[in-house]
Amino acid sequence: MDDYAIGVLTNIGLFSFLALSAYLLLVAGEMSFGQQAFFGVGAYAGGILTALYGWPLPLAALAAMALGALAQFLVGLPTLRLRGLYFAMATLAAAEMFRILFELFHWRVERNGELAGPDGTQGFRGIRWIFEHGIEPVHYLILVYALLAVILLLLVWVERSRLGAVLRGVGLDPELAASVGIDVQKAKLGVAAAAGALAALGGVLYAHHNTYIEPRNFDIMLGVHSLAYALIGGLGTAFGPLLGVLLDIGVLEGTRFFHGYRMIVFGGLVAVLLVFRPRGLLDERMVLWIRRRFS
Amino acid sequence: MDTATFLLSLVLAQTPQADLRCTPTGEDFIYDCTVTLARGGKPLERAEITVGADMPSMPMAHSVRPSKARPGTKPGEYHFRLDLEMLGEWAVKLRLGGPVRDQLTLHYEFDSQGATRRK
Repeated sequence: MDDYAIGVLTNIGLFSFLALSAYLLLVAGEMSFGQQAFFGVGAYAGGILTALYGWPLPLAALAAMALGALAQFLVGLPTLRLRGLYFAMATLAAAEMFRILFELFHWRVERNGELAGPDGTQGFRGIRWIFEHGIEPVHYLILVYALLAVILLLLVWVERSRLGAVLRGVGLDPELAASVGIDVQKAKLGVAAAAGALAALGGVLYAHHNTYIEPRNFDIMLGVHSLAYALIGGLGTAFGPLLGVLLDIGVLEGTRFFHGYRMIVFGGLVAVLLVFRPRGLLDERMVLWIRRRFS
Repeated sequence: MDTATFLLSLVLAQTPQADLRCTPTGEDFIYDCTVTLARGGKPLERAEITVGADMPSMPMAHSVRPSKARPGTKPGEYHFRLDLEMLGEWAVKLRLGGPVRDQLTLHYEFDSQGATRRK
């Protein structure tokens, strides 16, 4: 496999975490334009722990996930009381606040005779854990997909459990869910924390793949894409967002001959798709049809 | 650890430094570039460099297909061609193999005259 293929596949894997994070909230009935903030929290936290304090990557990833979960839980406390467009706007505003915080964030520590760490708008260079530990790009690719497989198995298990039914109920009709004794606010806060942890895990892996991060990496474009992944791929199963990422990056890579115009072509394709399949390609009906066909 | 080994480890631990110069080829958004690599004040030779680039605000949407740089005539100098999608700020990524394994990210503003370092 050449460097290009490894790079594209790694990107698909990394952004799948973000897509799954947006998907979790969509299943619970909330449209978040702000998952890039928690992706950024994970990237900065993981980068600081490995590059400045010498933590091993697995431990740093766990700590970053906990921080991502906490951050989205705290954002969710006031914002999840809002509905629909108001919640979407609140998440966008919160994400922009995080991005500005990253721009103001300076944490410079001397490492090997050089200053390292987040330096506001100058970014955060030298997140070299994978280079220092001799991890080849193809091995990192395997690590990303192994983690993604674990997350997917977990999500499929949750979807088939009572908890999954509760979450879909909360997402489809919160009033009805509340009337049968489900604490809707508590359920949504739990989903928000899980979504924050997932996005943060993606962020940690992204930072270590890239070795450099900066606040602009976590702006609104990433949030829009993460939501688009879930909406294009479909809300019927956790595999939907993965299909969305695959199509997004696949179409973008496959339309290189359009040069700078490919984003316009891509935007048009997304619009057409959402007109004909508003809940994505793998929506609930399609998943049911597939299950009946193959069971 | 004796002093010589300590100093050597310090030199080896130093991050490679890169300086990039790009000139437009005359074709839209295509540049011929030369990067000069040094480490510990000395030219970094025999590096295997894979060059990519993306736009900082859209890292996965606007990116450049990676290509290999070829060694130049001067020590520490390498040449490559960048085929960008548009003018503006690009994060040029140099993945280093060979004597040093690292990745450097250089921010340059590309315009009709060439490239100017931003960070």
